[in-house]
Amino acid sequence: MALTRRQALKSGVAVAAAGISMPAIAQKSPIQVGYLPALTGPSSSTGVGISRGTELAVQEINKAGGIDGRMIEMIQRDTQSDPTKAVNATAELTRAAKVSVVFGPLNSGESLAVVPILARQNTLQLHPCWVDSLTDVKKYPMCFRNAPTNQQIGHASNRYVVEVLKKKKVAVVSDTAGYGTASLNAYVPMLKEMKADVVYQNSIDAANPDLKPELLRMQSAGAEAIMPWSVNAGFLSRIINTRGQMGWDVPICGQTTLGSGQTKALLEKPEYWNKVYPNNFKPVCYGPGGKLPDRTNAFLDRLKSAKVDMSDTLLWWIALGYDSPNLIAQAMKAVGPETDKLVGYLNQLKGFPGVYGDISFTKDKHDGYLDEQVVMVEANSLKDGAFNLAPGYSAS
Amino acid sequence: MLASIIVSGLAIGCIYALIGIAYNVMYSASRVFSFTAGTLGMAGGILGSLFILKMGLPVWAGFLLALAGGAILGIVTEIVAVRPVLKSLDQHLYVLSTLALALIVQQFAAIEWGTDAQPFPRILRFERSAFDQQYWLPMLACAITIVGLEMLYRRTLLGHAFLAIAEDNYAARALGLPERNLRVASFAIAGIIGALSGFAGGQMLLAFFDNATLLTFYGFVPVALGGMGNNRGAVVAGLVLGLFQQAANFLVGGIFSSVAVFAAFILVLLARPEGLAGVALGRRV
Repeated sequence: MALTRRQALKSGVAVAAAGISMPAIAQKSPIQVGYLPALTGPSSSTGVGISRGTELAVQEINKAGGIDGRMIEMIQRDTQSDPTKAVNATAELTRAAKVSVVFGPLNSGESLAVVPILARQNTLQLHPCWVDSLTDVKKYPMCFRNAPTNQQIGHASNRYVVEVLKKKKVAVVSDTAGYGTASLNAYVPMLKEMKADVVYQNSIDAANPDLKPELLRMQSAGAEAIMPWSVNAGFLSRIINTRGQMGWDVPICGQTTLGSGQTKALLEKPEYWNKVYPNNFKPVCYGPGGKLPDRTNAFLDRLKSAKVDMSDTLLWWIALGYDSPNLIAQAMKAVGPETDKLVGYLNQLKGFPGVYGDISFTKDKHDGYLDEQVVMVEANSLKDGAFNLAPGYSAS
Repeated sequence: MLASIIVSGLAIGCIYALIGIAYNVMYSASRVFSFTAGTLGMAGGILGSLFILKMGLPVWAGFLLALAGGAILGIVTEIVAVRPVLKSLDQHLYVLSTLALALIVQQFAAIEWGTDAQPFPRILRFERSAFDQQYWLPMLACAITIVGLEMLYRRTLLGHAFLAIAEDNYAARALGLPERNLRVASFAIAGIIGALSGFAGGQMLLAFFDNATLLTFYGFVPVALGGMGNNRGAVVAGLVLGLFQQAANFLVGGIFSSVAVFAAFILVLLARPEGLAGVALGRRV
């Protein structure tokens, strides 16, 4: 069940076709959930990985009888990593398909455009995007985040660099996309608060084929660690390769994509992946002794038996995709599909046991991920989409 | 640092220059400014990676097939996007037709190849060094192209025929030259040059569908600076662009380097609208 982009697009068409060919009088009409992944475009690695989990979860839920006999039908639209297309798809989902819940978009750039629209249309939204402003209980009371915020991600990375690796002079760079620049703007002040010296900061055009000038500038500024913020595997691999070519023994810490299969494929030498520490999430990481938590181990077995391809993606993406429909289904089983009741249920959600992590919300806090679940890992330890915790991390 | 600016600047400049030459070869044969030039470069990188890494063909076979792919794409450009609009050149419909074809090919590449950058193979089994093959291969490709085109245009009958239709295609037709076939051949040559730039620069640019945008944009600059149809001007301007861009990367870094490049580009065009090596044409009144 290796979902490729083309298969994902075909399944989207099939879902739409199934909707058209549905009999006029169904015994129990399906519950339609909008789904806005980026399956193509520069930010699609995340969407392709998450969709593998989402598809498996919906299959399992429906196989187990759905929600009180009603099947879940994901109405999927590919945002193509483009905020404009995400907005168009949102309008179609809420006005034409009239979905009551939307999962996604899965990238911050698209969510920045979509979240206010769904809020205006009183549509319940669950998204995993990290940009801090994407939840606000006053402006967007029906929007919930089942993933960490940028603050949590940045705090984990910054803490690792400054307190665990003891590096005080840091270079922080990003690409020019919405997520990259937002991260750069958020993390530099956080580093300064931790008494780190940000010796170099810049937003770089990800299409730039030669990043040696940037790294030389970082080096001459005295950087002891590089923190790149981007989801673009080409951009991140160029930073890693250039560091390797220069023979510069400096750690690279930051975005999870630093450890993705796409980034690995672009490395000139496997050893260039040494001393690269991406963010990741404790429930989907190998602990001491190389063991995953029991819940995650059981999930991994299910993925393997369902033949879900993990060779080119990350376990946390699949786990997040798997947890999200299950979270929606749990809420619907508890209080039914009406939006107000669902919002009320989620406002009191405590300890939803996801594979990706436990999720809790309150009416004043719609950021459901726990701080202690955000960790750093060794990129070169990638196995079955999961990583070993970074050195010194588990003990700290 | 200076050596690094020069090496990487010249390498990138050679890629831009080759795309500029591809623009010029198509322009000379048809008076059409075809925006598929950058797409040809993208195709060279993707096809090279496809044939060598994915299909496991030998480097020489992958190289020849990538160039053949570029030639076919060049011919398709002539048939689909250029020939139908030649009768109304003054309406500049070719801007739309060639741009549309470029976008179609780029989106097709995105769907079939994927939207993530993918690796391009090492062409020669040499150890990496400061003056690595990723830098000297584009330079070598550029030198071979310049020499090859000079020899073709100066030493062969076919080359003289190309020059004839470039100078005055009505007169060339009146002399019995097969203008359409020569135009198709010119587009095939442009396709080969474009694909060569993407193949030679593949280790720097990777096999990435969005390289089409980058190359269309930066490949246009040498043509505008060097003068339309002027290959020597395009080569000089391409090299200057690459060096200036890398120097700007070192000096100001980040997105400011792009700002510096295009600020300089606009200033040059304000001073010399016909390009650095172009000739201002008098308008008959």
